[in-house]
Parts: sequence; structure tokens; C-alpha cells
Amino acid sequence: MDEKTSLRYQLISAWCGPAFVVTFIIFWLGFGHNFPNPSPSLTAIALKERYLGSLGEIRLGFIISMITVCLYMPWTCVLAGQMSRIEGKNMPILSYLQLIGGALTVMVVSFSAMFWAVAAFRPEASPETFQLMTDTGWLCIDLQYACTTLQMVAAALVGLADKSKVPLFPRWVCYLTIWCGISFFPASLTGVMKDGPFAWSGILSFYFPYFCWLCWYSTASVFMIKEIRRRMNVAEPVGSSRLAAA
Amino acid sequence: MPVELTAPIPATAKAEPRLPGDPDLWFLILAELLTFGMFFVAYVGYRAMETEVFNASQLTLDRTLGVINTLFLLTSSWAVVSAVRAARANHSQQVPRYLALAILLGLSFMVVKYFEYSAKFAAGISLNTDTFFNFYFALTMIHLGHVIGGTVVLTVIWSNARKGACHAGNMRGIESGATFWHLVDLLWIFLFPLLYLLR
Repeated sequence: MDEKTSLRYQLISAWCGPAFVVTFIIFWLGFGHNFPNPSPSLTAIALKERYLGSLGEIRLGFIISMITVCLYMPWTCVLAGQMSRIEGKNMPILSYLQLIGGALTVMVVSFSAMFWAVAAFRPEASPETFQLMTDTGWLCIDLQYACTTLQMVAAALVGLADKSKVPLFPRWVCYLTIWCGISFFPASLTGVMKDGPFAWSGILSFYFPYFCWLCWYSTASVFMIKEIRRRMNVAEPVGSSRLAAA
Repeated sequence: MPVELTAPIPATAKAEPRLPGDPDLWFLILAELLTFGMFFVAYVGYRAMETEVFNASQLTLDRTLGVINTLFLLTSSWAVVSAVRAARANHSQQVPRYLALAILLGLSFMVVKYFEYSAKFAAGISLNTDTFFNFYFALTMIHLGHVIGGTVVLTVIWSNARKGACHAGNMRGIESGATFWHLVDLLWIFLFPLLYLLR
């Protein structure tokens, strides 16, 4: 593959990042009725009614989410490639860590949506079934954040060790990344809390860490796209080869 | 013998105002402060809604252990400052000693917290007892996570300092670690009165 083609694929993959954020917000949060999300203190009957009230939208939201969450994959690959360039001829363990962290994040998010899609599959099922599947989905995504934290820490450590003239990430982005990774910790409390700010519908276990996650993801996307653009300009300075060919 | 790469920085030298450690680290510090600031606002908000529950539950906390832990963290911050000062003066042998003291105090903090938590669990009190204990366990556990992280950072710096790597010519690492440790201390200074003393 020539460099131009490779760079084009890199650029498309990096743009999958913003595309993931937008589709996640539309389908997972919007159509999936996760904004606000159901409280763990809802009774089983109230929860079932919540599903039945917007069954079509919830099904559409989560089924599409399971497809669009895969936009996270090409983005993770670009980041792994950019990181391994910084790791140089050393063993690229942090790039690998980021890669599997990103891959597992996709599965964690995907499985949450799948459990809720299962809940919406048989509307005649008992309220307890709805409750069980809803609990499983939320605990699946809220307790398994450490894959994503490791992905972020790996990216931040490589970013901080970047000695390039124009580094991939400015140092403040690396610290933002570490902090966003730390912000997930309260989500572990969702395993025991049924109401209050640390329950899975609470501000400190849901709105805040999810915001931080998307905030890091969007910021990193901007700098990854910039890096690819820089390399495109080096590979083919604007208006040079095409004019020369003509 | 450690090699002195740079002349010691005189304590009286009038330096340009600057942020100690990696300047971008302050972004993390600020973000942490804002996060905990949000926790504290949430705590005070919920407290205002259930003042009686909070007041009653607060009385069951062991203030003596809280005070002991406060002293541990304050002393460890002093030890870290002394380590930074020793490094700046190129007194390379003193640096690991002060850092070891700070690490020891950090570990003592964890031991005290362990006994505090065990006593609460033994008394049948858990995260779900009431809103106050939601906050008490959540905030102190998140803070404890920071103490553990900070202690790991100090241990890494201690191990470098033993090789003589902390001197006036190489202050960035030790200053960054010290800054983070002060953050951990500062957060406890807010947590302690909010959880143990506020009436």
C-alpha cells in the first residue's frame, strides 16, 4: 500500500472517533432513553412500564448502538499505530495495552446495549425479567470500566514520554487523560448503591464519568486528526505533486 | 557518591515565579480539585436535605482516629517539603530519608483507615446504611485510592533518590510527586471537617 492510501485510511479511522461520539449520543443516550437513565430504585413494574412506553425507540437505539460502537475500533487502531511510532524500536507494550483496552471497551459498551435489547425483546415477560436484564446491563458497563482506564493510562504515559518536535498530544491532554481515567472510580460504587449520587443513575457515577470519557475521547480525536493532517502535508505538500503532474 | 550536576539553589535566591514540578501537572491538580469540589457541593446539598440523619450518623465516626490521620498526612507533607528542600540544596543523602518517612506515614494512614472501616463493618454499618454513609464511604474510599496512588509515586521517587537522582539539577520528578502528595493532603483537610466535624 502506498503512503497516500495508508494516510487516507488513517484519517478515515481517526474520524470514526467523532462519529462514535455522535452516534453514541444519538442512539445509546437518546433513542435508548438513557438520558436520564432508569434509576436502580425503580420498582420492577415501573421499570417494565418504562420499557413498554417506548419499546420501538429503545429497540432501535440499542440495536444501532451495537453497530456504531464498533467505530471505536478503527479509532483505537490509529491511536495504537501513532503510539507505537512514539515507542519506537522498543517493545510496543503500551500500544498493545491501549489496543486491547479499546477493544474490550467496545465489548463492555456493546454488551450493556445487548442486555437492554434482550429486555425489550419479549414485552410479555415478567417485570422481574426486565429488572434483571436492566441491572445486568448497567452493572456490566459501570463495573467494567478498568479496561478503558488502562487504555487511557497507556495513551497518557506514551504521550508524556513523546520526545517528537511536535508531540502527538500536548502534555495537558495527557494529564486530562489520566484524570478522566480516575473519574471512573466512583462507578464501582454502582455495585452496591440503589439511590443517591453514587447509584448508576447518580451524578457522580453516571453523568460525570461518562462526560469525562467522551471529553477525553473527543479531545484525543482532535489531536490524532491533526497529527495525520501534518503527515499528509509532509507526504504531499499542498498543490505540489498534482500540479506537477498536470 | 552522587555527582553534583548543578550548584545548589540558595534558599534566598529570588527566583522567577513558577509552578513547581511539571507545569502541565497542574492541569491534573486543578481538575482533581474541581472534581472533589463537586463531591463536596453534592455532600453539602444532600446534607441540607437530611440534616438529622447526617448529624446522627456523623456522631458514630471515631474522631480520634480522624485526628490521628490528619496529623499523619500533615506530617508527611512536611517530610515531603523537607525532601524537596534537601534535594534543592544537593543534600542527596537526606532526600530518601525524608521520603521514607512520608511513605511510612502514608502507609500508617491506610492502616488506620483499615481499622476504621473494619469497626464500621463490624457494627453492621455499610455503604447502604444511609445517605451520610453513602458519602462517607464513597468519598473516603476515593481519597484512599489517591493516598495509595500517591504512596506509589513517592516510592518510585524514593527509589530514584536512593540512587542519588534527586538533586538541584533534576527537580522535576520530586517536585511533581510532592505536588501530588500535597493535593492528597489538601483533600483530606477538606474531607475531615466535612465528614467528622460539620454540625
